[in-house]
Amino acid sequence: MEFLLPAFKMLFTTPIVPAAFAGVAWGILGGALPGISPSITMALLLPFTYSMDSTAAVVLLASTYVGAEYGGSIPAILIRTPGTNAAAATLIDGYAMKEQGKAGEALGISLYCGVVGGLVGLVVLVLMTEWLSSVALAFKPTSYFALGILGLSVIASLSGDSLVKGLLAGVFGLMIASIGTDPVSGVNRFTFDSSELLSGIPPILVMVGIYAISELFIQSGAKQWDQTTQKDLRIKFPSLAMWKRLALPQTIGSLVGIVEGITPGAGGTVSSFLAYNEARRWSRHKEEFGKGSPEGVAAPEAANNTVACTALIPMLGLGIPGSNSAAILLGGFMIHDLIPGPMLFSKHAHIVDGLYLGLLVATFAMVIVGYLFMTPAIWMVNRPKPYLMAFIFALVMSGIFAVENSLFHLWIVLGFGVVGFAMRWFNVPFLPMVLGAILGFMVESNYRRSLVLSGGDHMTFIDDRISAGLLAFSGLFVLGALVRRGIDEWRRLSPREG
Amino acid sequence: MNKDFYLGVIGLAFAGAYYAMAEAIPRSMLADNVGAHGLPRVYAAVFAVLSLILVMRAVLLRLRAGAGADGEGEITRIHLTRAAGMLGIGIFYIVALPWIGYIPALAVLTAATVHYQGGRITRRTIGLTIGGAVILWLIFVVVLDIPQPAGLWPEIFAR
Repeated sequence: MEFLLPAFKMLFTTPIVPAAFAGVAWGILGGALPGISPSITMALLLPFTYSMDSTAAVVLLASTYVGAEYGGSIPAILIRTPGTNAAAATLIDGYAMKEQGKAGEALGISLYCGVVGGLVGLVVLVLMTEWLSSVALAFKPTSYFALGILGLSVIASLSGDSLVKGLLAGVFGLMIASIGTDPVSGVNRFTFDSSELLSGIPPILVMVGIYAISELFIQSGAKQWDQTTQKDLRIKFPSLAMWKRLALPQTIGSLVGIVEGITPGAGGTVSSFLAYNEARRWSRHKEEFGKGSPEGVAAPEAANNTVACTALIPMLGLGIPGSNSAAILLGGFMIHDLIPGPMLFSKHAHIVDGLYLGLLVATFAMVIVGYLFMTPAIWMVNRPKPYLMAFIFALVMSGIFAVENSLFHLWIVLGFGVVGFAMRWFNVPFLPMVLGAILGFMVESNYRRSLVLSGGDHMTFIDDRISAGLLAFSGLFVLGALVRRGIDEWRRLSPREG
Repeated sequence: MNKDFYLGVIGLAFAGAYYAMAEAIPRSMLADNVGAHGLPRVYAAVFAVLSLILVMRAVLLRLRAGAGADGEGEITRIHLTRAAGMLGIGIFYIVALPWIGYIPALAVLTAATVHYQGGRITRRTIGLTIGGAVILWLIFVVVLDIPQPAGLWPEIFAR
């Protein structure tokens, strides 16, 4: 209990509370806009965090993620358009409830289950991350290299339909990471005699370009999203009888969220659909699913809000982002020279404590902000798309210039917007590229450092037990992803053959 | 041919160019056994192999399924032309920013985006875009103390 007093002090000595409230509010508004995912909502904030206190900056970004997961359910319930991918499962019964005149009740269930899911996720996050990082304290350069490889092996499960394209994106990310001054010899690589490229391309520019700018490009060719006739709406929290009925789907959603959040690449979308299916399987009112079942709203909302916390476990403990939003949060850490992973807990424990506390505040802030921001969120969804796009474009361009007062950075971001658009055109996933760009330096510098220390002997990676274990785990991870891919392919083909 | 074929061809060309650039990295006396060019060369080789797989797979699929197998996918040509316009607006903003300054450049960016997305340019639109630019200037320059380009205006008014 002795940590409670410092935590209580931190609430008043750092701007955690305003950051958590602001993040949740921004997240709800961003998540409510169809096409603007939690990661884009977070990416838009990244440049603003440069001048902020480190703890407040990471709390702001993490709270945005929490808020966006709830915000995504607002248009899903009101206009049958999920604000986030994870809210697609909420849409099934949420919109049916709205059609029955129960929109306020559906939003209340979404909010309440989101809060419970967030709290469960936070407890798991605190318990598992500390343990994971304590193991990682014994790391040497060989182990860090192997850790980077483990991070890159996640690409096998993040590659969507095509493993080859995922790998291609991952290697492209590694190529981006190789730009700048060589970490060992100090030679300039791929800088084209530009002094602005000597320190490499900051991952923040890559992320804002491929996520935010490319989305603007895509949205410019998409039709105006639907609008709701409702101008005002009051959230109706569940009654005591409803609380009891929602207990089982909530538990299912939270359990699914824990497992899927820890598994890199699974994310909120998979977990919300999985939770929906499991809730239907175990429900006493199976026949109501798809026709406006409150349980059909509760399970996916509990799942995707649990994932919002548990997806941070591999990112905080090992420095490996398992989802787009975790990658953006990692970018937020890097802006403040904080490297998530084992050393973060020993060198910057106060930042981690602040993040935990901020997430706790954000989870409760969701109730207040979610209640108060319903009308602004509906107003936002009903704004004409041209104005919203213009606002987002202006925000990105202003924010990126503000990072280092550099016009060159604006060119880079616009360039990565084009790269992101091309990747979407060719159906190449983003996250493997982001992983490559983030982990590339760690992999290369520790690989070469290890070889220098061992006199060029590659057995050094096997002699170090941690490194050997991580490399073996990477191999198993890739193998598992390939087997799963093979089974999916076999299932897909077998009915046709039959 | 489907998109994967073209992606593979572009990938092969890119891998070739990247390999050539990696080869051209100067060798340092301080270099280790791997060298500054070591891993980039490996990346280029892997990139080329993956691109080749894409090309071969696309050709095989084409041979198996025939000419009608190619689909447009998530992004269509309409998106391409619309995105080009947005890119043009972004380029204009970056070029104009050091000359006309932050507030006018941002007002033009937002007005152009609204118009390009099908919004009508009315007095209200102009008011909103200028007002929006001023609000963002206040947030960045006054509240956050982050300078934005003033353009040539200070020089002109100083004369």
